[in-house]
Amino acid sequence: MNDIWRNSRHAGHLLKSRLGKLELSTPLTVASGTFDLENFEFFDPACLGAFVCKTITKEPKKGNPPPRLFETEAGLINSIGLQNPGLDVFINEKLPQYRDKLSMPLIVSFSGSTIAEFCAMLESLERCEGIAGYEINVSCPNVENEGIAFGIDPDVVFALTRELAAITNRELCVKLSPNVTDIARIAQAVEAGGASSIALINSLWGMAIDYRTGCSRIKKGVGGYTGNGIKPVALALTYKVSQAVKLPILAMGGIYDWQDALEFIWAGASAIAVGTANFVNPLAAPELIMGLGEFLLTQNKAVRDLVGKVQI
Amino acid sequence: MINPQYRQRAIQLREELSDDYFILWIWDEALGAAGSPGQFYEIRALASLANLQAVQAIPKLFKPVSIYDNQGGRIGFMIKKVGAGTNALSRLRAGDTLELIGPCGNGFPLTRSKRVLLLSGGIGYPPLWYLQKELINHNQIYWMHGGASQGDIFPCDEIWTEDGSIGRKGRVCDQLQETLVKQEIDIVYSCGPEGLLRAATAVTTEMKIEHYCSMEAYMACGIGVCHGCAVPIGTPQDWTYRRVCKEGPVFNADSIRWELL
Repeated sequence: MNDIWRNSRHAGHLLKSRLGKLELSTPLTVASGTFDLENFEFFDPACLGAFVCKTITKEPKKGNPPPRLFETEAGLINSIGLQNPGLDVFINEKLPQYRDKLSMPLIVSFSGSTIAEFCAMLESLERCEGIAGYEINVSCPNVENEGIAFGIDPDVVFALTRELAAITNRELCVKLSPNVTDIARIAQAVEAGGASSIALINSLWGMAIDYRTGCSRIKKGVGGYTGNGIKPVALALTYKVSQAVKLPILAMGGIYDWQDALEFIWAGASAIAVGTANFVNPLAAPELIMGLGEFLLTQNKAVRDLVGKVQI
Repeated sequence: MINPQYRQRAIQLREELSDDYFILWIWDEALGAAGSPGQFYEIRALASLANLQAVQAIPKLFKPVSIYDNQGGRIGFMIKKVGAGTNALSRLRAGDTLELIGPCGNGFPLTRSKRVLLLSGGIGYPPLWYLQKELINHNQIYWMHGGASQGDIFPCDEIWTEDGSIGRKGRVCDQLQETLVKQEIDIVYSCGPEGLLRAATAVTTEMKIEHYCSMEAYMACGIGVCHGCAVPIGTPQDWTYRRVCKEGPVFNADSIRWELL
């Protein structure tokens, strides 16, 4: 069971993909904050083409007050608030573990509260070995002064991306929020700023209330909504962005299985990530790659043959 | 100690306790050897994603359930029907398959040569059953258990029900201070609703009695990844959010910042 994906190893050449500067052995990665080294107790890591860590900030963050989670009719609401130990602890304690244990490219997700802070963090990370690329989180809905404050304004996104692109030659992927009026304009700003790929979507706004008592299920009221309920939204935004820019897309949002993954690939994604699915099915990632590999073999097509080839 | 594992195991036996409570027994020697009192598993009725699509159901999260009994590879989960997840579990029969992630978290610190009070409310009972089996040869144990009504009551030394249908009428904490004195208690282990744990902590802190609480929280991953099950732990001046699934579920009662919950 732990290495079911190996059954489709002969589909290896078909599963290869590329995200900007990164060669991926499979198009699959994990959504930031839903997956860590603990998950490798459940399956063989080789099914992942890249590994995206939980978002880090410059200073440690306590996170939001509980309750932080509520499972809805279709998907999950979270309000973690970017709880993390901060950049220094990440570099000194977490990064060495990743270097030791990961066999695939590491993409470090980080967020800041000013352009200067983003740049300072990137400069620190640039001095570290074992990092293949960055996911710039300008889209977390659960913090007030970080992330999403940047992600909603194309001019700010452009300025931020341009500054960051000047600092690094590693993969630079900017993660977009769905909670905007026109995501295509933001994606164009990312492209013009010089990023090498785009990730989307971060969570939607979401809320749940106990109908008997009137109490919010989430302490902060509104949280981030993820999981299968958001899949049609994520798919539409993936398609819109793929029509608006040439940058490769790392898509996520309600991907639970290989059929979901294919929909996003047709819509324009060069890579896909499982997030909430990791909680619902601990074997979501290897099962997805097994199914995708079998489909590609049957069709005798490679992932790159399908990207963006949706028929409208 | 081993890291949480993912397994699918057949249910060997289903035991009915009352309308709302039942026990599911599974068999796994390796997991059994690894577990300790206070640890828990994330469990769920198995349904493959293929089946779920066939019946148009939506896959749901696992539910954290503490270990009720663990002897020679025979692992028991005592469950109360409270919501959709536990209702799905309640439909399982012997021969059906359970999905498990565990053992998760850290158990109760064990003790010797002490006068121990076990304090439980409702579905807080199961982890203390496993705990008393580990403590009983080396300690004097007094167990107080309370619930809404007689359907929530299980074997113990002192029974409390809110409706007075069995045992003493009231809440299990109502005369905690007197019991701690009378029984000359050295250490308290508790599990149950937040109100019970909070009230018990107020008494044990005042009397400076060592007290370990097993906490409950809404969970997604169960393995420390998602940070969803946070509780504030530390001193009033210096606290941080700890994960019930990873650093917990057992915490020193004094370190829980109840005023922030």
